[in-house]
Amino acid sequence: MQNMELTKRAETVNELLARYGVKFGIYKNNEFKEQLFPFDTIPRIIKKDEFAYLEKGLKQRVMALNCFIRDIYGEKKIIRDKVVPEEFVYISSGYLAPCDGVVPPKGIYTHIAGIDLVQGRNDAWYVLEDNLRVPSGASYPMIAREICRRSSPATFETYHVEDNRVYAKLLRRTMDYVNTGGHTVILTPGRYNAAYFEHSYFAEKTGAHLATGSELMVEDDYLYFIDYSGRREKVGAVYRRISDEYLDPMTFNEESVIGIPHIYDVYRKGHVALLNAPGNGVADDKGIYYFVPKMVRYYLGEEPILQNAPTYLPYYEEDMRYVLEHFDDLVLKDVAEAGGYGVVFADRMTAQQKEDFIALLKREPRRFIAQEVIDFKDIDIVENASRVPRKADLRAFVLMADEPIVWKSGLTRFSRDPDSFIVNSSQGGGFKDTWVLSQ
Amino acid sequence: MKTLQFHYHMEIAFSEPVHSHIYTLKCLPQTGGTQRIEKCVYKISPDGTVQEGTDSFGNRMLYGTVEEEHSLFLVDVTGTAVTDVQGPVMPQNIPDLSVYRYRTPLTQPGKRTRELLGHCRKRTADMPLRDKALVYMEAVHGSIRYGRGVTDINTTAEDALALGSGVCQDYSHILLALCREDRIPSRYVVGMMTGEGESHAWVEIYDGARWHGFDPTNNIPVEDAHIKISHGRDYRDCSINRGVFTGQAAQRQSILVEVTENGGTSA
Repeated sequence: MQNMELTKRAETVNELLARYGVKFGIYKNNEFKEQLFPFDTIPRIIKKDEFAYLEKGLKQRVMALNCFIRDIYGEKKIIRDKVVPEEFVYISSGYLAPCDGVVPPKGIYTHIAGIDLVQGRNDAWYVLEDNLRVPSGASYPMIAREICRRSSPATFETYHVEDNRVYAKLLRRTMDYVNTGGHTVILTPGRYNAAYFEHSYFAEKTGAHLATGSELMVEDDYLYFIDYSGRREKVGAVYRRISDEYLDPMTFNEESVIGIPHIYDVYRKGHVALLNAPGNGVADDKGIYYFVPKMVRYYLGEEPILQNAPTYLPYYEEDMRYVLEHFDDLVLKDVAEAGGYGVVFADRMTAQQKEDFIALLKREPRRFIAQEVIDFKDIDIVENASRVPRKADLRAFVLMADEPIVWKSGLTRFSRDPDSFIVNSSQGGGFKDTWVLSQ
Repeated sequence: MKTLQFHYHMEIAFSEPVHSHIYTLKCLPQTGGTQRIEKCVYKISPDGTVQEGTDSFGNRMLYGTVEEEHSLFLVDVTGTAVTDVQGPVMPQNIPDLSVYRYRTPLTQPGKRTRELLGHCRKRTADMPLRDKALVYMEAVHGSIRYGRGVTDINTTAEDALALGSGVCQDYSHILLALCREDRIPSRYVVGMMTGEGESHAWVEIYDGARWHGFDPTNNIPVEDAHIKISHGRDYRDCSINRGVFTGQAAQRQSILVEVTENGGTSA
């Protein structure tokens, strides 16, 4: 490969990333630890044509997801037409009854979506997960690119790579499109959050205010930002990086101290936009994932361009039978868990574990999905000065304003452990830049 | 049909003055189902600025912020309700029932709930829904003893059964847990009952045509002695008062509800 130049600078780049505070906070044994998010300089390269295909598929998928959420909190046609069984919706932890009948500004629920894909050895792409609540990660390839350009300008003269710094503009446009009149705020739980670096980076790059809940308040049915001098400024859009449950103690979790009391009430009245829309987690539930291709057909009348990884719902008798017969070939996922937790590979279980798991599966079939293990295409990383193959996925970002736009880059995460399929940063994985070629 | 005068009074006494007190109240009964509210006046003190809204379950909300320091917060609602009105009181929308068919964390069934349900099912095979509900109600009524201070606002139906004791909220959650295991649309109701006391809770079950009230604490169907304030999936959707404030104060809440028949004498 020709980008040896960049590879040689790996150490410098990682040092700079550390200095800029590119860190990932994790909780282990109830203790908060900040760790560096290791960067590998060999980029994932996606050719122009291939990305055009992904782009089309991703737009379609996010449009369908947005239709689904609007329908669930509105008319519920997809349930009445028995395409999605109602129990999958109402037992899902992402379904929030207080969102029923509430229409967000411009009807958008999925402003910033992070869709996780993997590429099989046969080159086919599969969607593994739709992250719609507060997907993080776009800041990492952005800053990595910035630093790489500086460390190795020659690399970017040789390659024609789409400039990924445009993300800031796309994000700003997404926030402005739904703004109901007033300032734009990025709401962070604070510096002990895993993605705090990202919150502050986006604020800096988009010109939005970075605020914690205590700097915002509701008065006379509008939301205000209180600046350092105590002056109040009306807020029209909040890109909130705290989860639904903690957003407003008056409607959701009463114990929340990081939220803003009554923010949900002013949102309900259309006086402020919240990105992403509360309650949209109903569509990123692992159980609902199974139905996304059906949603594409149902709402858009089109054949899905992107495929799901082959998935079975033990909830359906037929699928249960398949799962029990092919148990050893499957990966099982607990629909209530995220971040790589609750994922088990059947062939790695002991006999006893298998027996226990199957009993649990029979008792609570709704709780699990089963998937074929995809033979990932490995990507090289540099380890101890040599190239070694590792499993990697791609989180693509789709931003929705008047139409969905796919960011021409993405977060490529890899597993540092050669035997592991789990790439989540919370499990100690690293990341790469994603280059989309412009010609 | 009965005409009732109601008076709901809530006071929160703070041990030290507090400020920036933010509140949401769901304390206003509405016309609907079999009740008609003919008069309803409220007073909140101190009130700051009060906004009105409606939640996703259709309950009326009053919310606001009291910036100034205060040691006492009171809410007073009085009015006249006509109960057990026959025939549709409000134009009947096709209700969205699904949300009331599924368990919530507070109505999550466990071993004891399933046992109780097993006993009930044996006796109710082929019964019409309303008769079935009467059997479930009676079973719930007999499943725990009435007792204060044993359970709290986070006690689940299953926990209350294990503790063997509870208040109207617990009786209602157990009945909801049973109904929802059978996918019967059922909802939690907060309201008031004739006489003097605190606010009350019971359950409504949808029979395919309309909602019917069942009061498992008293083991009676709801007829003309109950005035409904709000409904939701469980207690958490219906708290009459939610609030946060700034200050190092202990708070003591007291509630007095008085419901008398029109022209009747109140003690």
